[in-house]
Parts: sequence; C-alpha cells; structure tokens
Amino acid sequence: MAMTPIDACKAIQLVRGQAIVVCTMTSMNVLDTLAPNQALTLSSVPLMGGAAALGLGIALAQPDRKIIVLDGDSSLLMELGVLSTVVGPYPSNFYHFVFANRVQFNGNFALGLSGEGKADFAAHARAAGYRAASHWETTEDLSQLSDWLQQPGPRLVELEMEPSPSRLSADNPPAQTTDARFARMGQEAAAIRHSFGFESE
Amino acid sequence: MSNSVSRPDQAFAVPASAFIKAYQRHQIDWVVTVPDFVQLSIHSRLAKGDTGLSVLTCANENQAVQAAAGLYIGGKRSVVMIQNQGLYNCMNAVRAIGLDAHIPLVFAIGQFGREFSNLGADPRLSKRRMVSLLEPVLDTMDIPYFQLEHPRDVDAIDKAIETAYSRQHPAALLIGHYTSWE
Repeated sequence: MAMTPIDACKAIQLVRGQAIVVCTMTSMNVLDTLAPNQALTLSSVPLMGGAAALGLGIALAQPDRKIIVLDGDSSLLMELGVLSTVVGPYPSNFYHFVFANRVQFNGNFALGLSGEGKADFAAHARAAGYRAASHWETTEDLSQLSDWLQQPGPRLVELEMEPSPSRLSADNPPAQTTDARFARMGQEAAAIRHSFGFESE
Repeated sequence: MSNSVSRPDQAFAVPASAFIKAYQRHQIDWVVTVPDFVQLSIHSRLAKGDTGLSVLTCANENQAVQAAAGLYIGGKRSVVMIQNQGLYNCMNAVRAIGLDAHIPLVFAIGQFGREFSNLGADPRLSKRRMVSLLEPVLDTMDIPYFQLEHPRDVDAIDKAIETAYSRQHPAALLIGHYTSWE
C-alpha cells in the first residue's frame, strides 16, 4: 500500500523511544496532530532546510542518544550540501528520513519543487558518503524501521509518498502566522536541554 | 604596488594563540566553521588536534549556525568561525535560531577583502562593501559586536563569548586583519 505522511509518522512514533526527533514542514504538521507537544521533539520552524544540521549538532553533543531527522524534500534541496557536512564527523547515532512528496507547502497549497521533483535523495546520500541509504515506497517498507534504527548511522531513507490534499484556496485563504510559531523552536530547544540536565546559562 | 602595502601588517595581527587560549578559558568545546581566509593561522592551529577543541567543517554558514545550535541544545559550547560574506549568507538562520529561538551564538568573523589602507581606520569607511556593510548589518539585526582591530583589543574575544551566553543571543567578534601564526 502506498505510504502517506501519517503512516510514516505513526511508524516513527512507535519506535522512537528516547530518541530526539528533529522535524520540519510536513512531518511537523503531522506530528502536531498525532502527538501534540511531544517531548524530545525539535521543530525547525520557521526555518526550512535547518533540520539536518540541527540534528547533526545534537548528535555530536550527545553521541549516546539516537537522533532522528524528519526532513522535507524541498527543505533538503535548500541545503543539499548538508549531506556532506554530516559525513564529515560520521555520527553513528544520526538517522535521516526525507518525506518525499515532491511538492512544497504540502497540505496547504502544493507548489512545484526545483528540478520538478526528480531528485533521488538516497542516491545523493550515498554519493555524499552516508553509511547507508534506501528508498521506501510502501507501508510494508516501514516494517524495516525498527531494524534500520538498530544499525549504525549516518543513514538516510527517502520516503516516497503522495502529496496531501491542499486545504487553501480562494474560499479558504491563509490565516495569520501566529506568534507561537516563532517562539516554538526556542521553547522546544530549552525543553530538550532541560531533559539533558542543562538549563539556560 | 610596494611591498609595504601588499604584505600583512603585523602591528594589526592578533596571534592565533590568543583565540585558542580564550576558547579554552571559556570551555568552548567545538569550533564550527566554513573556513575563513582571515583566520588561516587559527585553522592551522586547530588542525594540529592538540587544543581540546573539536572542529566541524560545514558546507555553508546556515549549517554552521544550525549545527552550533544543535550542539548547544546537547550541552556543548561552540564558536562559529566564518567570514563577513558568510554572515551575509546565513542571515535567516541567525534570525530563526539566534533571535527568535534565543539560542546563544558566538561568531568569530574575519573581515575578508579589507584593503590594507583601511587598517586602523573605521571599517565602515572601507571601499569594499563586503567590509563596510558588516557592522550596519549587525546593527540592523540587533547583534552586539566587538572589534578586534589590534592585539591590544584581545579581551574582545572574552566579551563576545560572555555576551552571547549571558544574553542568550548572538554576539560577534569582528577580526579586522589576518591573524598571526604565533
């Protein structure tokens, strides 16, 4: 069966345990519906492209903790060089998932990507030097997730999925961006620091 | 061009050892960098691997800012070592992480491209926009900065680090001339 963002996020929720999850865009929106205010979750928002390097920094600081990055395809395209940045230190606790729905503003108002969505992120990761990279398309493929997370990183999985239906239109225009959206990353960062036993300096 | 104009002026060169000692004094764990031509001697010193400082080289400055934030979240201190044009490249990441999320960021920024005739003068009067724009950009972003124009300014390194962590905010050290190799 074809995979949806909800399928992928549900599967990750089941196995994440004490891992730190860094999410952005589609995965962030889905996790907000599945598990609002979930601990040990950092949203790269409003900051497209930031999830992987944020996760890399945490992975280097906390090498005994698994870091799961839930990237977007348009987000990763903005920072494709981060694949090379990741393989420099080669963190064995770094797991990178790309939600490849081939649109920008998924679920809101689907717009095209650079390259018309032809990018092969698993191939990019392999070429950059990730330890392993794979391409999953079905809900059955998600059954590999637990085993995949037991293997050393850095690893990348490209999750091929259909875009969600767009909800915005002339009859349903965008609402004002909330203040909370700008405060969110800092609050989540502080909560994760607290979980590690660090307070603000 | 005469030799006196084309060669670095050692009177304005801050030794690499001053940076390393300050970073060690402030328990900096990581230097996160997109390499800076102005700070070559510091890069060289870090590459020896005996400073206790780990180095993460990034593909661009957005990633340097983001990785520095991740390190901070995980309990490590870092300095983001870039050049002036690198700061211009990562303004949105600095906005999101340093200003909106209130994550401390210590920048060590080399004034790449500065004409030697401007040494000892106001960098805002440089003929090179790459140099003259740096302080106005930082002012616009409400980021405090500390000029390191001469070896006697070396306590600017401490001030930048202390400011970033005490304010939970970005702070920048502006390195006006090639660092020296001592």
